[in-house]
Amino acid sequence: MPEGVAMPDLSVALERYEELRVRADAEYAAWRNPERPRIDIAMDTSSLANGARATGVAIHRVITERNAAVDMGQVHGYGMQWIHPSVQITFPNGETVLYGPVKPEDAARIVDEATGTWGAAADLRHGMVTGTHEGVPSIRDHEFFSLEPHERRLMRNLGLTDPDNLMHYIARDGYRATARMLGRHLSEEQVRNTLNDAGLTGRGGANFPTGLKWNFLYGAPGEEHYMVCNADEGDPGAWVNRVVMEGDPHLLIEGMLIGSYATKAKVGFIYLRDEYPFSVQRMEDAIREAEAAGILGNDVLGTGLEFHLRVVRGAGAYVCGEETGLLSSIQDSRGMPRVKPPFPAQRGVFNKPSNVNNVESFANVPLIVRHNSEWYREHGSDKQSGTKIFSFSGDIPRVGFMEIPFATRLEDCLRVCGGIQGGQLKAIQSGGPLGSLLPAEALPKLILQPDSFTPWDAIMGGGGMVFCNDQTSVLVLTEMFAQFVEDESCGRCITCHHGNQRQTEIIRRILDGEGRREDEPNLVMLDRTLQFSNCVHGQFSPKITRNMRVHFKGDFEAALLGVDPTLTMKGMYEVVVANQRPEEQAKAAADICPTAAIQGEPGRRRVVDEACIRCGACFEVAPDVMAKRPKAPKPGLVPIG
Amino acid sequence: MPLETESKARVRALVADFRPNNGDMMAALHRVQHEFGYLSQESLEVIAEQLDMFPAILYGAASFYDEFRFEAPAQTTVRWCSGPACRLRNSNGIRDAMLATLGMEDLHEQTEDHRVGMVLGQCNGCCELAPMVWLEQHGDHGPEQTPVGHMTAARAVRMARALRDGADIEEAIDA
Repeated sequence: MPEGVAMPDLSVALERYEELRVRADAEYAAWRNPERPRIDIAMDTSSLANGARATGVAIHRVITERNAAVDMGQVHGYGMQWIHPSVQITFPNGETVLYGPVKPEDAARIVDEATGTWGAAADLRHGMVTGTHEGVPSIRDHEFFSLEPHERRLMRNLGLTDPDNLMHYIARDGYRATARMLGRHLSEEQVRNTLNDAGLTGRGGANFPTGLKWNFLYGAPGEEHYMVCNADEGDPGAWVNRVVMEGDPHLLIEGMLIGSYATKAKVGFIYLRDEYPFSVQRMEDAIREAEAAGILGNDVLGTGLEFHLRVVRGAGAYVCGEETGLLSSIQDSRGMPRVKPPFPAQRGVFNKPSNVNNVESFANVPLIVRHNSEWYREHGSDKQSGTKIFSFSGDIPRVGFMEIPFATRLEDCLRVCGGIQGGQLKAIQSGGPLGSLLPAEALPKLILQPDSFTPWDAIMGGGGMVFCNDQTSVLVLTEMFAQFVEDESCGRCITCHHGNQRQTEIIRRILDGEGRREDEPNLVMLDRTLQFSNCVHGQFSPKITRNMRVHFKGDFEAALLGVDPTLTMKGMYEVVVANQRPEEQAKAAADICPTAAIQGEPGRRRVVDEACIRCGACFEVAPDVMAKRPKAPKPGLVPIG
Repeated sequence: MPLETESKARVRALVADFRPNNGDMMAALHRVQHEFGYLSQESLEVIAEQLDMFPAILYGAASFYDEFRFEAPAQTTVRWCSGPACRLRNSNGIRDAMLATLGMEDLHEQTEDHRVGMVLGQCNGCCELAPMVWLEQHGDHGPEQTPVGHMTAARAVRMARALRDGADIEEAIDA
């Protein structure tokens, strides 16, 4: 602070907050205990993909036709994505019940249930979000949420607020941390120390202490500092950040606001991936609302402090999730990572000191500042405190997300997700394309804590966990990730640019049944070479292939010989007409084949192997006629060395 | 000053509030593509001028990103989800069946009559619907996306045949 400039009076922040809070409390109370029952449609990316809009339209139509005394609103999904599209009914007594999946044809029943015919949609009920009702369990007692702490933290507002409503966030203690921090003259250092005491580390996967990172930016020279949020959640199978941004956008805004105060940043950017258009919309709306309420902008809560926040929409480049790539992308150029140092705290956006944190790291901040670091450490372990959102997918019946304390056993997660479906557990994919492919035998030993993954040459990553059964070869998954890292290489380092091309080529050739004995040493050599790449993308890009070679050695060596018990690798089986009857099926198979590979007269049909692309369409329409037949294995390969 | 085409004038109006060296490039490209469906050479020239960049630099930057297109999209684009949950359920077969039906060698191509195109999509975490594709059209109000979950290879063939033969999205989903 230069001499002669008066220290701004920050205590006004508390007054401003109280004014907002009075309004918010009234508005939220009216929403929680509405005069008439209200049907809230869950609106988020997953709900929308499952047809939430159509469900909403159908319910609205029924209400209009009957002139029913029911209102409509919206919430975010509660976590159980397999029951989407879901709706919640809130009754005037404040009880809220969760239903799903609610298809348009169920609209009348839902309206019946809301208007007094209790039981009309009993089969769609999953539990009480709030309140108690005889015969209906609390949703907190659902097995899927049994690993969550009794009180959610990061997801505390899910199902309990309209994510688009700032007042709901405030009424649920939102922005209180900011107001108290400013109003009670908490120093920048105290804020950062609180985070360090709490043990908050980067949630994007790198696990660097957040408060320490902020120390670097605070100490950086100059007045122009930038706060950047990495919301480029590119790992396939992970949608943790999406839940925060769509479920509680102000939690992220508040985290960044506190971060800006603690690091003297005046401008913030949220770099948000293009694949989340709904998140972009929610975040932009939330920023506008916060600006209108005087929470963001030139005069944060009346204190004269400045913080401007903008969303920068990505455009499908995974490597922009690497912080220097992300910074380049904000600055009007190709999103290519560069060599560090200089670190972003030295040279970031517009070559000014900057700080890049993950969405979830920011989302934890208001909670820690509002409570304290001891409260935060109540969950988790000595090595990793707090809770984290994880998303679970793959061959499991219950696909969804939950917020669980660190050190939770992964085996328990699989159990609450309903166990593995359609076969035995074969692999667990964590940490995205630069992450890991873990063998089934690792499961009992894994806890959700980064260091638990290390002995397996694996990372926990950003929170996406994909459980894979034994019906798909791990080499098929390896090919997917090899191709992904090749596609997404920025091209700067020749090791990454060409190395990943060679890696994909080799894996593809093995899939085609053309494995060679030099493939293994060549993959090892590529792996070593890739370590010389400049950024983590190149360095980690051979990781899944390495995991496959090491953890699934048997499958890999069999594949080199052309043997694949799962019959999912193209070159290792052929499709045959196993039975000529029933003829209807045989005809259907011939008709559906996109390459007309099934030829011949009725009773004499056969597959022309060269034409068959092994898409599998014929098996669906002719399960009794078509079959896969393994090709003869190649004579044994003698391993080199 | 040379006479401007009408579309160039429209682009100029669209990007008028963007400034050089202000981190506006992504937003400008998105806005123009949202309006026109793709980034024409003309529009890139206008954006470059507005952002005080050489057109070549702008093109070099824009072409880095998979989602920026420099040719008009097909009437209907099939966005094929490449995520892991989908791969566990034969999404490779779905991709290959559609490509074969549409007579395409690989993703990011279009049929000759520009009716159907196919692009690679990234997982957005709706894995309960795996395997899935999105059907996209560029409407009057920008891109419109219809997710289609629980795909199978046979359904993919029927859907691709319907689209190839001129069906709209709803007809293709029911095919």
